[in-house]
Amino acid sequence: MIVTKELDLLDIQGNVLRVYGRFRYPVARYVFLNLRDSAKGRAFVGAVTGRVTTSANWGPGPDQVPQPDWTVNIAFTYQGLKELELPRTSLIGFSPEFVAGMKGRKDILGDDGPSSPQYWDPIWRENRETREQDVHVFISLNAHTKGLLEDGYAWLKGVIEATQGGVVLLSGHLGDNHAVMDYQDGQAVMENGQPSAKEHFGYTDGIGDPVFEGLPRGSASVLGRGKQMADGSWAPLAVGEFLLGHIDEAQEYPPAPNPILLSRNGTYMVYRKLHENVGTFNAYLDEHAKHFPGGKELLAAKFVGRWRDNGAPLVKAPDQASKAAFDAQLAAADPQGQDALLSSFTYDDDMSGGRCPFSAHIRRINPRASLEFTRDPTDVPGSLKVSKDAFDTPGALTNRRRILRRGLPYGEVKDPTRDDGNHGIIIMILNVDINRQFEFVQQQWINYGNDFKAANDKEILLGNHSADERFASKAVIQVDPNGDDPPYFLSKIPRLVETRGGDYFFVPSMTALRMIAKGLVDPT
Amino acid sequence: MTNISGNAYALTILSPIRTGVVKGEEIEYADKVRDLLESWNLLPNSPMTQVPQTYLCRFFVLDDVYTESLPGASVMDTFADVLPVVPDGVRRRILPKEDRLKSRYLVFSSNFYGGPQGDVDGYLRGMWNAIGEHIKDLWGYCYGFDQVRDAATFVSYMKKCQLPVTLFFVGANDEPLPAQLKALYLKQEFARFAVANQGLEAAVLRANYQAFIARVAPTNLSGPTWEPGQYRL
Repeated sequence: MIVTKELDLLDIQGNVLRVYGRFRYPVARYVFLNLRDSAKGRAFVGAVTGRVTTSANWGPGPDQVPQPDWTVNIAFTYQGLKELELPRTSLIGFSPEFVAGMKGRKDILGDDGPSSPQYWDPIWRENRETREQDVHVFISLNAHTKGLLEDGYAWLKGVIEATQGGVVLLSGHLGDNHAVMDYQDGQAVMENGQPSAKEHFGYTDGIGDPVFEGLPRGSASVLGRGKQMADGSWAPLAVGEFLLGHIDEAQEYPPAPNPILLSRNGTYMVYRKLHENVGTFNAYLDEHAKHFPGGKELLAAKFVGRWRDNGAPLVKAPDQASKAAFDAQLAAADPQGQDALLSSFTYDDDMSGGRCPFSAHIRRINPRASLEFTRDPTDVPGSLKVSKDAFDTPGALTNRRRILRRGLPYGEVKDPTRDDGNHGIIIMILNVDINRQFEFVQQQWINYGNDFKAANDKEILLGNHSADERFASKAVIQVDPNGDDPPYFLSKIPRLVETRGGDYFFVPSMTALRMIAKGLVDPT
Repeated sequence: MTNISGNAYALTILSPIRTGVVKGEEIEYADKVRDLLESWNLLPNSPMTQVPQTYLCRFFVLDDVYTESLPGASVMDTFADVLPVVPDGVRRRILPKEDRLKSRYLVFSSNFYGGPQGDVDGYLRGMWNAIGEHIKDLWGYCYGFDQVRDAATFVSYMKKCQLPVTLFFVGANDEPLPAQLKALYLKQEFARFAVANQGLEAAVLRANYQAFIARVAPTNLSGPTWEPGQYRL
C-alpha cells in the first residue's frame, strides 16, 4: 500500500480519529456549557485547549506522546461560535443545517412522535429557545476508570469556576429514575465484569468504521471499510469526506468557513441521545421468534445484519452451521484478521437480500455496492443482481454518504421488560457535510426504503416507526428467490429507538482552537 | 419526434398570454394566471384529477427564455472563426445579440393514456367536459382563446398551441388510468393480506385468499379501487 497522504495528527482532535472505547476508555462524560461573556469564554477555550487530546501517536517514542489517563475534547454550536465573536464573514461560511441545529432539522431527521423535541431531555428542550439556555460548548471526557473520570471532571469544573461566571454549566440531562443531571454519562455495557462492545439490545456495536487516507494503521483495515474500486479491490476513502480542508470523493474541497485555518482539520459532529425501548424490543423479538423459521437469534441478526454475540455478518454466516464455522475462524484469527472477517464483505452474492435483509441496520447505514442492482424480465421473481455497467465503481452511490460513528451506551438495563429505564446510546457522528452525509442517511436510508427497492419500509431498529395503525411500519425479511421458503413479514414494528436530544457541533482543529481562544480568526 | 410511447401520449401546450392588466386588480394577466394556478393548491385536490386518463401533468407560467446567439453557427461563420477575413466586430453586429420570448406563456404539459393511436382529441374533449370552467378561467387571458366556444373549438385551439416535443414523465406504465389505479390498490391490499395471513395453515390461507379475492375484485376496474389523484395510503 502506497502512503498517499499524511495527516497532521497533532492538529486533529483525538475523538475524530480514535474510537476511545478501543483504547481502554470505557467511561465518558459529556458536558454542555453556556457562554455568558465572550472574553471570558475565549479565555476558557484557551485553558481547555491546553489539555485537549489530539490524535498524536501514543507511546514512549521520540515523536510520540504519553497516553493520558483521561481525554478532553471540545466542540461548538453555531450559537457558541457567535458568542465567541467569530467574525460575521467566517460565520456565514458554516452550513445552513449547522446554523439551524438538530431541533430545526427535526422534519428531515424524522424526529416525530415520541422523538419530538418536546419530549427531549430538558437541556435539549430548552436549547435554542433562550440565550441563557443555549448550548454553546460541548466538552467530552473519556477515562480509563470512573475514578479517573471524576479527576477529569474536577479539573473541568475548576476551569469553569475560574471564569467567574463567564461560562456556565448547563444542567438538564435525565439519568436514573429521571434524576436531572449536570452531565451525560456514558459507559460500556459490562459483561462478566469486563467492558464490552455491546449496546442495550445486545448487539455488538461499532464495527466497520470507515477508513480514509492517512489514518494511522488504516491500510491494514481497509478491506470492507474503505471504498471498493472497479476491480473489486479496496482503497481508503478521501480525507475530505471526514475532515474539512481536504479533497473529498468529488475531487473538491468541501464547503467550509473562511479562513482556511479555521476549518482545515476540523469537522462537523452530530451529537444524538437515543433512548432504547428495551422492553418493547425484547417483547417484539420474542413474539416474532415464535413464528420466524430460523429462531430467535437469527431473527435478531436479521434486524441488524450481524449476529448479536460477536457481530458476525449474515452475508458470511447466514445460518447456524455457517455461523459455527465463522466463530471458529474468528477465534483463531489475530486482531487484523478478525477485523477483516467482520468487515471485509460485499453484498454481491446477496443482492436479493436472502441473507442480509434490505432493511437491516448495516445494509441501510452502509449499503456498499448493494444499491447498484438490476434485473432482467426473465429473472426469477424477487431476484436482483449487480449492475455491472451503470456505475464507475461499486462505491459510486455510497462513497459520499459515509460517516464516522463514535459514542457509548448510557445507563443500565435493570428490568429488560420495561422501556422506561435509563438506557440508550450516545452517538456522535462525524462528517464534513451534515446534510449530504448524516442527514441523507437518516432521511433516505433509515426512514425511507426506496433506494433499496423496499418502498417506504424503514430501517428496522432506528426507523421512526409509526404508532398509527393506518400507517403501521413493516419490513420484509427476504429469502433466497430460488428457494421454496416464503419471505417473512415483520408487521407493526413499534418505535424501538427514540431521540432524546442533541445538536450539531463544529469540532475545530488545534490550530483553530488556538485562534478562537485568542480572538484571532481573521477571514480577510 | 413522436409524442407517443406505447399507449402514453406526451402533450405539451404553450399558450401565449396577452399583455395587459386585470381591470381593477392592478395585476398583469400572466401574474393572474399564475395566481389562479397557485390557488389550486388550496383545493382538496387538483381539478386535473377529474380529467379522465391523466397520468401526470404540470402547469406553469413561462416568463421568458433568454438566449445569447453568439457566436454564429453557419459554415461561413466557422470559416470566419478560423480565418479572420470578416472582422469580428462586423460579424457580431449582424448577429442578434439576444433572443427573448415575445410573450409570457401558459405551459401545460400532460402525460395521458391515449391508446396506440394517441387520441389527443378525445383527451382534450374529456378535459373540456370535466373542467371547462377552470379552463376558461386560465386560458381566458391567452391570445386567441376568445375563439373557443365548445369542446371542438377548444381542441383545435389547443392543437394550434401544441409544441411537437417529447416530454414524458417517469412513473406511469402503459395501461389506461383506471387499470393503473386498480393495480396500485391491489398491490397495497395484497401487502396487507400477506402480513395479516402470515404463517397460517394452507387450508385457512386458501379460504382467506378466496375471501380476499372476492373482496378486492381484481377484474372490476370500477371498484374497489384508488381515486384519481390519490397519492398516499
